[in-house]
Amino acid sequence: MGEVILTMKGIDKSFPGVHALDHVDLEIRKGEVLALMGENGAGKSTLMKVLTGIYKKDEGTITYEGKEVEFENPRAAQAAGVVIVHQELNMMSHLTVAQNIFIGREIMKGKLIDDAKMNEEAKKLFQKLNIDINPTEKMGNLTVGKQQMCEIAKAISHDAKVIIFDEPSAALTEAEIEELFKIIRDLRDKGMGIVYISHRMDEIKVITDRVTVMRDGTYVGTLITKDSTKDDIINMMVGRVIYEDPKTKSNVAPDAPVVLKVEHLNAGKMVRDVSFELHKGEILGFSGLMGAGRTETARALFGADKKDSGDIYINGKKVEINSPEDAVKNGIGYLSEDRKRYGCVVGKTVAENTTMASLENFMSGLFINKKKEEESAWKYVDALKTKTPTVDTEVVNLSGGNQQKVVIAKWLVRDCEILIFDEPTRGIDVGAKSEIYTLMNELVAQGKSIIMISSEMTEVLRMSDRIIVMCEGRKTGEIDIAEATQENIMHMATQRN
Amino acid sequence: MDKIKNNALVKKIGFNRVILIGVLILMYLLFGALCVALGRASFFTMNRIYSALNYAYFLGFLALGVTFVIATGGIDFSVGPVMFCAALIAGYSLNTHGVPLAACLLIAIVVGTVFGIINGILVAYLDMPSFITSMASMMLAKGVGSVFTKTQSVSWPQLADANGWYRNLVKITSGTTIIPTGLFIFIVAAIICAIILNKTKAGRYILCLGSNKEAVRLSGVDVRKWEALAYILCGMLAGMAAIFYVGAYTTVQPGLGDTFNNEAIASCVMGGTSMSGGIASIGGTFIGVLIISILQEGILAMGFQKDYQYVITGIIVLVAVWADIRSRQRRN
Repeated sequence: MGEVILTMKGIDKSFPGVHALDHVDLEIRKGEVLALMGENGAGKSTLMKVLTGIYKKDEGTITYEGKEVEFENPRAAQAAGVVIVHQELNMMSHLTVAQNIFIGREIMKGKLIDDAKMNEEAKKLFQKLNIDINPTEKMGNLTVGKQQMCEIAKAISHDAKVIIFDEPSAALTEAEIEELFKIIRDLRDKGMGIVYISHRMDEIKVITDRVTVMRDGTYVGTLITKDSTKDDIINMMVGRVIYEDPKTKSNVAPDAPVVLKVEHLNAGKMVRDVSFELHKGEILGFSGLMGAGRTETARALFGADKKDSGDIYINGKKVEINSPEDAVKNGIGYLSEDRKRYGCVVGKTVAENTTMASLENFMSGLFINKKKEEESAWKYVDALKTKTPTVDTEVVNLSGGNQQKVVIAKWLVRDCEILIFDEPTRGIDVGAKSEIYTLMNELVAQGKSIIMISSEMTEVLRMSDRIIVMCEGRKTGEIDIAEATQENIMHMATQRN
Repeated sequence: MDKIKNNALVKKIGFNRVILIGVLILMYLLFGALCVALGRASFFTMNRIYSALNYAYFLGFLALGVTFVIATGGIDFSVGPVMFCAALIAGYSLNTHGVPLAACLLIAIVVGTVFGIINGILVAYLDMPSFITSMASMMLAKGVGSVFTKTQSVSWPQLADANGWYRNLVKITSGTTIIPTGLFIFIVAAIICAIILNKTKAGRYILCLGSNKEAVRLSGVDVRKWEALAYILCGMLAGMAAIFYVGAYTTVQPGLGDTFNNEAIASCVMGGTSMSGGIASIGGTFIGVLIISILQEGILAMGFQKDYQYVITGIIVLVAVWADIRSRQRRN
């Protein structure tokens, strides 16, 4: 383990109404992977934004290579060798890989851009990383995993000494994660200081050397990864132990009526002849690899995308669902995997988002009854333990887990009988995750029915009563929780034609 | 500064709008001073105020409508020519076909509404970009107005004429007392628009879809209906603007009206309505309209050509857009 390259000490940062960072310390060493962990809203991203000059700190010092620094903006940080690989990829899909990597600092030949030279340089970068990507390929044609590799190539092309990975694995397949880890180890061995932000406990154990934990904007402590257990880390993050055993048998009564029946659903290439039934009070897990067509199935069922054919029955009656409006009228609610884009209107308040799907219940004649609206919003803020100063707070100011709760509240206010949870805990910390699991269990106990799409095997095995597995747009298996194992699910998930 | 910001009255009106009112008053005083400096007739007369108000009424109706469209994240470049088209068709029907005046006023509103419906269907239901769609309907409005009147300008009746009573909608003169009826109507219209925007389902959904249309659609809301409604309201208000235009100036020429688009949009932007949608203020638009009206009256009073007004309006819009973008950057 090498010498210290970067130290943040006593970093303090406040936003209106939120003390986001309360005198936080962080130490990054050469040739080491440091995990930065904490629940959503713990302040990890804010701390990294302060480091890379996106936010100005209120107090504290940053010492980099022995000198006190304050980067004016991300560009200045990059120039100094501190780069961040973002969770959301910032790529221009119609440009080539090389053009993306050198964006903003194109290699010039006189007054013209030298594409040939940039391709050559990009190729060298990829060779350095031992990855096989064609620099002249259009970015949009690459898989998410490959795009991520390009982000990394772009980062190291800045002659980086400190690289921050902000949840790099969120959208990657197992194989891609393996490849990513190989690269990270390689960079570490070259003496770079690496910060790895992730919610996936298993990854932390595999890839990191030390773990720094934050909670509610404060520094909790730092552990040596190999000397600590998963429970140690979780305890530091939330201050309580979390129950994470798989379910062993279905909680659904054998004679529970079918509330939703989907027959021969087809929509484009990603949904091919999918049929299934959902029972009252059931959590039906949808498992599969990325790109298996689970989200597409949910969207077609919900009317968000056009379906080519297929019949939908609710409580035994055939219904026509051609738009989300139809779906909602039939008592279906959809929680998207991408909350910011499809879940909530982040520029509007908690109250406005909560009543979005059921505004007609909050009207007094022609006018919105704001008092009633706020009362209802508060009721769900309390019930779901949503962390927000008031219901007039704009949703953009909440953390991912709390935004998710606002979306859940929206469908609860609407009193939907069938809820589709698409990756309900993606990007959500362990504490809020367990709260959302509890909530889902309460909902089915009340007689609601849930379709849960999840890429996390532990989540599928812990929550589902029955599991449907998809691969390449087809349903490749259906299994009761009592018989389900990671192995047989994975077997079905890879049953390609 | 913080003390002013936290004052209860300032909070109620909104800090930005307080600044706008300040700009309005300053501008009024500045023009007064400039008129004295240039040796022109006094600017501080009631006549000047009535003249500025004449401009504010029709521009106000246009700007109120455009506020709804911008709130959805769209834009409407057709309102000015649509207003003229409505005034031409209604006036021509009155003069040439002898249609009763009351019916003609209704025709003006209907013409505006029809354009609103066309824009609404094209943008909301056929997913056409509002920029280019409204530019096309702007040309359409100009052309239709010209064709209908055979490229003749149309003069609406004078107050003393048989059908002159409509001019009382703008102001009533009896002896030396003048009642600015137009101002009352404009204020009532603004209040109704503010209520629609802030208190009704339509306004809520218009603002929300301006912020994130897909998320609103996935909440089971018929976003197309509400988006189209914004354009229809805008068209209808442009039709009403026509009545106040002829009520003030009586004569309408075919093939004109585009400058009023820019002034209506400028009023909204100045008033704090965000060009990226989701944020809109009717109160702000109201004050923005008054600023533009004082500006054009002031330039006129100083004896300058309208070109100067465009220069100043252009600068004001740039500053307003810059302020909008700055405040959004700070929020993120």
